Amino acid sequence: MIYFLSAYADGNITLRDALFVSIKGILIVMIILAVVAVMVQILSRIIRRIRKAAYERADRKAAKKAAEQTAQAKAEAATANASDEVELIGTDEKTAAVIMAIVSDESEIPLERLKFNSIKLVESEDKPI
Amino acid sequence: MSIITDIVEIFRQSGFANLPWQNWVMLLVSFVLFYFAIEKKFEPLLLVPIAFGMLLVNVYPSIMADPLMMSSYTGEVVEGAHWYDAGVLRLLYAGVKSSVFPCLIFLGVGAMTDFGPLLANPSSLLLGAAAQLGIYVAFLVSIVSGLIPGFEGFTAQEAASIAIIGGADGPTAIYTTGKLAPQLLGPIAVAAYSYMALIPMIQPPIMRMLTTKKEREIKMTQLREVRKTERIVFPIVVTILVALIIPDAAPLVGMLMLGNLFRECGATERLSDTAQNALCNIVTIMLGVSVGATAEGTIFLSVKTLLIIFIGLIAFCFSTAGGVIFAKIMNVVSKGKINPLIGAAGVSAVPMAARVAQTEGRKYNPSNYLLMHAMGPNVAGVIGSAVAAGFLLMMFGK
Repeated sequence: MIYFLSAYADGNITLRDALFVSIKGILIVMIILAVVAVMVQILSRIIRRIRKAAYERADRKAAKKAAEQTAQAKAEAATANASDEVELIGTDEKTAAVIMAIVSDESEIPLERLKFNSIKLVESEDKPI
Repeated sequence: MSIITDIVEIFRQSGFANLPWQNWVMLLVSFVLFYFAIEKKFEPLLLVPIAFGMLLVNVYPSIMADPLMMSSYTGEVVEGAHWYDAGVLRLLYAGVKSSVFPCLIFLGVGAMTDFGPLLANPSSLLLGAAAQLGIYVAFLVSIVSGLIPGFEGFTAQEAASIAIIGGADGPTAIYTTGKLAPQLLGPIAVAAYSYMALIPMIQPPIMRMLTTKKEREIKMTQLREVRKTERIVFPIVVTILVALIIPDAAPLVGMLMLGNLFRECGATERLSDTAQNALCNIVTIMLGVSVGATAEGTIFLSVKTLLIIFIGLIAFCFSTAGGVIFAKIMNVVSKGKINPLIGAAGVSAVPMAARVAQTEGRKYNPSNYLLMHAMGPNVAGVIGSAVAAGFLLMMFGK
């Protein structure tokens, strides 16, 4: 490149060289802008992936938090139910609350629309070893 | 009797009796530029100061006096003269000569430019590159003009400076010419800005000639949304990339991208506002009026100037054709998804060229909105012309 520079510094150029410089010039502009285009594509993909991963992480975190809050709310509601209205036989309030929350979750019926009359511990023959 | 003698003497010493015919011709040229700028609204922010600088220097040439020979213009060296003895516009012209003004204009252009359409569709960068074709065709024509009998021809540096008119970018043309052939700055700047102003007249016939009605009616799909992170990373990456590959393009591209970073980063609103308004306006006034003042009739009116104006027109036409033809190729490759009219916007001239593509597109399909699609190649053209200028500076810089 340095050689080329000094070659035309005196201002003289042949027609053949001018043609060569012109072809080289347009090719170089095309190549550089093509490289920029590829870089933009790559950067755009990387940024989109990073953003997607960040969104997914945030979504998972939010879902987990929401689930925890729902479970806690349900448990609190169940505890309230359990202690207020439900007859507990052979079980404590905490276990009863968990059972009520599971029933609500499995049946997909909100806890406030469910009515538990009693929760009774049933002794099984085959106890776990 | 003595009063009449005095009046006659005043008249004999006035410009009316002393101005050469070349100055009168240039006054007429400045009136034409005023007409285009004020009546036709063709680039008035640039053409009004240029035309007024032209007017001033042709009625009072001393406004560009150069007693220290600070520039390459002809004049007498005055012993004991100071820098402040130079003409007012000569002092302002230092900003052009030193390339400070073109770079500051690029800072403002960067702050005003939304690279979103380009980022949403990076292939438009190729259109911005193809639309530099006119630069190289004009370079060849300038060299070939040396074969005209009785004309001494242009040097390689002069040919490169004339060629850059095809980039349709005033600051780039001034920057390149200031470094390669400062003696041609006046005609080249006037030709570049005049043709930029005349883009709505130059481009449409070429666009229509190279495209079919069916192609002009093509509706393009909406561009995707570009994230802020992409907008911030882009100017930084382009600066690094271009400066490393073509260092001579670094001042122009660097300032363009700095301006754009001010705009996009969201932390420098005040700087962005200054760059795109106050600073850009101030520099435009100083650059316009001092460039116009280089068109002093006795220097400006020559065979070389006429040839420069003619070759400049060839450059604009070929740049437009290059962009349109490449867009046609892209349209074929993409199976009819690209309207070739947007290729014409690849010549820099932001946003005039994009507006022309929009206007032409709507003539054939009133529900077609090509403006945002054309802005991609349009801003790519700014980068393309700066890269082309960097290449020419690398090849022919002294």
